Amino acid sequence: MDPRKSIDKPPHHDPILGVSSRWSVSSKDNKEVTFGDLGSKRIRHGSAGADSEMLSMSQKEIKDEDARLIYINDPDRTNERFEFTGNSIKTAKYSVFTFLPRNLFEQFHRVAYIYFLVIAVLNQLPQLAVFGRGASIMPLAFVLLVSAIKDAYEDFRRHRSDRVENNRLALVFEDHQFREKKWKHIRVGEVIKVQSNQTLPCDMVLLATSDPTGVVYVQTTNLDGESNLKTRYAKQETLLKAADMESFNGFIKCEKPNRNIYGFQANMEIDGRRLSLGPSNIILRGCELKNTAWALGVVVYAGGETKAMLNNSGAPSKRSRLETRMNLEIILLSLFLIVLCTIAAATAAVWLRTHRDDLDTILFYRRKDYSERPGGKNYKYYGWGWEIFFTFFMAVIVYQIMIPISLYISMELVRIGQAYFMTNDDQMYDESSDSSFQCRALNINEDLGQIKYLFSDKTGTLTDNKMEFQCACIEGVDYSDREPADSEHPGYSIEVDGIILKPKMRVRVDPVLLQLTKTGKATEEAKRANEFFLSLAACNTIVPIVSNTSDPNVKLVDYQGESPDEQALVYAAAAYGFLLIERTSGHIVINVRGETQRFNVLGLHEFDSDRKRMSVILGCPDMSVKLFVKGADSSMFGVMDESYGGVIHETKIQLHAYSSDGLRTLVVGMRELNDSEFEQWHSSFEAASTALIGRAGLLRKVAGNIETNLRIVGATAIEDKLQRGVPEAIESLRIAGIKVWVLTGDKQETAISIGFSSRLLTRNMRQIVINSNSLDSCRRSLEEANASIASNDESDNVALIIDGTSLIYVLDNDLEDVLFQVACKCSAILCCRVAPFQKAGIVALVKNRTSDMTLAIGDGANDVSMIQMADVGVGISGQEGRQAVMASDFAMGQFRFLVPLLLVHGHWNYQRMGYMILYNFYRNAVFVLILFWYVLFTCYTLTTAITEWSSVLYSVIYTAIPTIIIGILDKDLGRQTLLDHPQLYGVGQRAEGYSTTLFWYTMIDTIWQSAAIFFIPMFAYWGSTIDTSSLGDLWTIAAVVVVNLHLAMDVIRWNWITHAAIWGSIVAACICVIVIDVIPTLPGYWAIFQVGKTWMFWFCLLAIVVTSLLPRFAIKFLVEYYRPSDVRIAREAEKLGTFRESQPVGVEMNLIQDPPRR
Amino acid sequence: SSNTASSSAGAAGSGDSSAARKNSKRPKYSKFTQQELPACKPILTPGWVISTFLIVSVIFIPLGVISLFASQDVVEIVDRYDTECIPAPARTNKVAYIQGDGDKVCNRDLKVTKRMKQPIYVYYQLENFYQNHRRYVKSRSDSQLRSTKYENQISACKPEDDVGGQPIVPCGLIAWSLFNDTYALSRNNVSLAVNKKGIAWKSDKEHKFGNKVFPKNFQKGNITGGATLDPRIPLSEQEDLIVWMRTAALPTFRKLYGKIESDLEMGDTIHVKLNNNYNTYSFNGKKKLVLSTTSWLGGKNDFLGIAYLTVGGICFILALAFTIMYLVKPRRLGDPSYLSWNRNPGGR
Repeated sequence: MDPRKSIDKPPHHDPILGVSSRWSVSSKDNKEVTFGDLGSKRIRHGSAGADSEMLSMSQKEIKDEDARLIYINDPDRTNERFEFTGNSIKTAKYSVFTFLPRNLFEQFHRVAYIYFLVIAVLNQLPQLAVFGRGASIMPLAFVLLVSAIKDAYEDFRRHRSDRVENNRLALVFEDHQFREKKWKHIRVGEVIKVQSNQTLPCDMVLLATSDPTGVVYVQTTNLDGESNLKTRYAKQETLLKAADMESFNGFIKCEKPNRNIYGFQANMEIDGRRLSLGPSNIILRGCELKNTAWALGVVVYAGGETKAMLNNSGAPSKRSRLETRMNLEIILLSLFLIVLCTIAAATAAVWLRTHRDDLDTILFYRRKDYSERPGGKNYKYYGWGWEIFFTFFMAVIVYQIMIPISLYISMELVRIGQAYFMTNDDQMYDESSDSSFQCRALNINEDLGQIKYLFSDKTGTLTDNKMEFQCACIEGVDYSDREPADSEHPGYSIEVDGIILKPKMRVRVDPVLLQLTKTGKATEEAKRANEFFLSLAACNTIVPIVSNTSDPNVKLVDYQGESPDEQALVYAAAAYGFLLIERTSGHIVINVRGETQRFNVLGLHEFDSDRKRMSVILGCPDMSVKLFVKGADSSMFGVMDESYGGVIHETKIQLHAYSSDGLRTLVVGMRELNDSEFEQWHSSFEAASTALIGRAGLLRKVAGNIETNLRIVGATAIEDKLQRGVPEAIESLRIAGIKVWVLTGDKQETAISIGFSSRLLTRNMRQIVINSNSLDSCRRSLEEANASIASNDESDNVALIIDGTSLIYVLDNDLEDVLFQVACKCSAILCCRVAPFQKAGIVALVKNRTSDMTLAIGDGANDVSMIQMADVGVGISGQEGRQAVMASDFAMGQFRFLVPLLLVHGHWNYQRMGYMILYNFYRNAVFVLILFWYVLFTCYTLTTAITEWSSVLYSVIYTAIPTIIIGILDKDLGRQTLLDHPQLYGVGQRAEGYSTTLFWYTMIDTIWQSAAIFFIPMFAYWGSTIDTSSLGDLWTIAAVVVVNLHLAMDVIRWNWITHAAIWGSIVAACICVIVIDVIPTLPGYWAIFQVGKTWMFWFCLLAIVVTSLLPRFAIKFLVEYYRPSDVRIAREAEKLGTFRESQPVGVEMNLIQDPPRR
Repeated sequence: SSNTASSSAGAAGSGDSSAARKNSKRPKYSKFTQQELPACKPILTPGWVISTFLIVSVIFIPLGVISLFASQDVVEIVDRYDTECIPAPARTNKVAYIQGDGDKVCNRDLKVTKRMKQPIYVYYQLENFYQNHRRYVKSRSDSQLRSTKYENQISACKPEDDVGGQPIVPCGLIAWSLFNDTYALSRNNVSLAVNKKGIAWKSDKEHKFGNKVFPKNFQKGNITGGATLDPRIPLSEQEDLIVWMRTAALPTFRKLYGKIESDLEMGDTIHVKLNNNYNTYSFNGKKKLVLSTTSWLGGKNDFLGIAYLTVGGICFILALAFTIMYLVKPRRLGDPSYLSWNRNPGGR
């Protein structure tokens, strides 16, 4: 990877941007010499890297205070001031001693716990002691304990893995030789030798490698997930010296540790010479060395300061829309709580005031304590004002669960459960990348059910980013017939030295073209065709890797490189008999239909975004020197020899046809260099690549000078294949009412054609194209568009296509509003030629103007800003590395998984969470209200008939588990129904699952139910011998039964777990009540048995249950029957099978079919 | 298919595939992980709802009727005596009278209006007496009542915890305020035996109140709240105290005083010689003497019967109403044409 990816335009729109080769050059004089004796005569260059931006940056002086100094092979001096950390890592958070304080400190970061704590502390004041010590602290202690055990276990595992990691061995240069040393003892400044397939223990600057040119290959799977090989370089200056480590004398001045894994800048001073170092000179902890026997490097960052460790950060934290909405109701509940407490305090005040003269003689009050003083002193009476004050706060303590703090904990548990099921969903498992769904953010599961806007990247997201060679145009002639996909043609293979070599990937070939290449150089046409494929095989930076197979005689050739386009081209060349089998820094070996040919790589001008092309200069076996150039059509036609005008014209026509088919095109050109040309180029190239200042610019200029007067060889067309199921997915999402915006870096024609093939655009849509070069024209076309849609009212059938240049004028201008208005009326929006920062800008444009939820999905580094900006970010773990995944909230393997993710899981999660919040409000408020009604009959003092243990256990044991189980498992509709009828997704978009209206209905029901639970036994037992504990037990059991039956009434799918949770909770509550009542030292001893013996108890219970649930039952039925929601109808249809009578609208997601092409 | 190019790894592929499957991250398939557990999904159809209401009314109306009958069967005689038992001149300051010394005997005659079969329960009923007052209910020591070992556990009993440093047994406001009106019943000048044994819960006598715990320092404080206890009788036998200590849930309550184990005939006059000692006057508390039989459902209270009849009636009416609505304006269940997007196509 190179840093431009994140700085520049997106990598997709320039087909070969990914190329970042830094091949050095061998001189013309020894182009025929073999690899072994290169050393003596070779001209060494200061740096092979011509990485434009980074190079110029690294030549800037690093300020002393921002730098760290590393003396090579002198760790003692380096670490003199003990400022650098050692290489032992510690991902574990706690030690045995720090566990308790630190863990508690971290847990109390949650507001919920602080509320618990404050209430518990208030309760400890003697004046306010409502509950006993145990009962008041138990809920908090329970939650803290559970979390602490979980944290401790996780930390234990981290300790264990740390220990394994720290005790791995590495070869360190010490006392004149390399010795094995544990990783944790490695220090900054030491020189380390890493061997092939070993993992790097720390970040180090390369000094030397087994390759004479100083190249190493590393695989960075552990770091960023990319499995292709990347090349890194040792500086030429250090290569030679490394043979004699003792004399190594120099230092590196590099930037302070940071987390940018794609950037590094430093200077190295060695023997008085100053060199600049860039990201291509450093290899990072966690990488694996490949294809290189060994590499030597000096440690610059160790342990916790390595880039890999600095990047070990958690997922972003977001807060779900539902939770934000819920906070409003929490405030309402707080007000309600305050009202209840105020009523309690006020009525108590009135009673105390009216009886102020009798307080001493009232038998159940007895204000004075006479035991110490004859006159008596006030006992627990602090004066009227204070009594009111204390009553108020005691009421807060008693009614504390009105604020459903347990809801927050339940929600976390529910989300973990939901995440478990999303992760384990078989339909969101991607076979090709072996990746299952990942939930990185745990707070926003339910947001997935409310998405209204979808922003999608194209390459790698809608498409596979697996390029497939489709068409070739040679000399203006199109060869685009391909053999059928299922043909028995075994693919190209060739026998070399008794071993059969086979490219790893089969490419479907055009039989005519294949025949043509086979005829050799017989005809002019055949010659051109051969030249074409030779240039495809040679003009690239692909590294062939030959791997063994189960058959010892067959070897597979795998092409590794950073650009998928180049890979496709090389595989294509291989299929036509131009098999690239070896690449070293000095030469490449190509097997041309059985004949192994060796080409010396004399020079390589890598791709840059200004030239938009790359070139190689090859010394061919016939001693000629040839220049091969490939690049984007726009940049290539300008450097072509005009004398081939006819061919150029033909090619242009073909290219237009290709790109309208959604293919990515490249043009290839070549020319033969004569000696003087070569000499001239060579000297200027030498000069440029040794220059210390402005190297990149000079090299670019050299390349520009030589890349002229090219003869056109041909053009290629590569298909960026749509991912499986993308058109169906987009259609489903659109039916679901989600507005799909596709943001791509591709050309307009390519983008539009992809739009058609992905069914984003349809034939009957009117396209509004905005393609402006100035602010004014942009404004004009937008306003025209706005007016035209307004007049026609055809909103379903308009597509807006806007390009990056126009977006420059739109964003950050007052035009944003107009664009938003237009976009709202369109059903599809396609933005092409968009730069990464614009992607985020577009998301922000929508997000700031609507309260609807936005989702961004992408796979590359260029999508990171967009993913972070949107309410929900989804990363595709695809070909382009892991940055998108790292920044995302959810990660998955394929675009089409969005459909089950949103329509099924999102819908479920939203419905479950919405119901769960309402239910938790209800469940806690019912209990609080029962307590409150009783206060009106206890002389306005906060006595609770329900035992304090039952009050505490109510929200922990009696009623907690069913709501969590329902929140995780209940499904309002089956998966297939939701997929068949994407319109059902609208429930979440219209926020029907949770709203303030529903909240108020629930609260009215709550008041009714609490009244029924309280007053039925009260009237039934009025003036009887009933004692507090017995009545309290009746209320407890009645509340638990009613609350659980209320839930049972709303459960949609009853499986055995649901049954167990609901009935189990009622049984558990009864058991708890019984256990509490067999403790003889509690006042309620044996009460439940005494009261349970009476018929009255059971008559009351039955009356309570029926009376409290009756209104809800009747109204629920009326609403569902006469004003059915879509979900309700779908549920009936699902059960009765009436959907089968009508045609399903949606698409079967399991279809395995080729995305239809036009 | 579409991904030939990407995945056809030639001959090598088949060899690795079994190993690859072992390490695959593919989620383990089960009905549970795919959320496909067999489940029953009931929906509220009119048939279900109407029959539910009918069933409820069929159960509730008879239950209401038998509850009412049970309540009607109970014969009770209630006599409020708090004001009547204060001599007319003293009624201006009832508190002073009740706090004053002297004999506060009061005679009451109760008329039996209906035959009462034994056992007849004698209750005292207090009204406006908050035995559930927070200050009051907390002022007790349950461990002290059980065993002499915990005699000194009196911290919760304030302000009635000790006398001169000696713990009071039983301590606390509840015990201190023990009801101390006494009734002596007679019929036709023959005294009527009131059995005071077996009025408390057996569980309380056996496990909650110790048979080795004797009253100590009780009512020896500066002011006397209510009855005194015989220090020679263990708490487990002090049934009046045990009954009193089961604090009442509601401000109007009865406590069992004793049982008459003979029938009372209609027209009998019960003469009650009453010692009016208990001070409910400072908070306008009412005192009543109650003689009552019981039914299987408890005392005389029509509320439950009426509630059952009401709920049963409402359910019956609802069942009728829903049936009519169903017949007049039915909706075909699960008809996709009711779906919002089918009703007004285009308006997504």
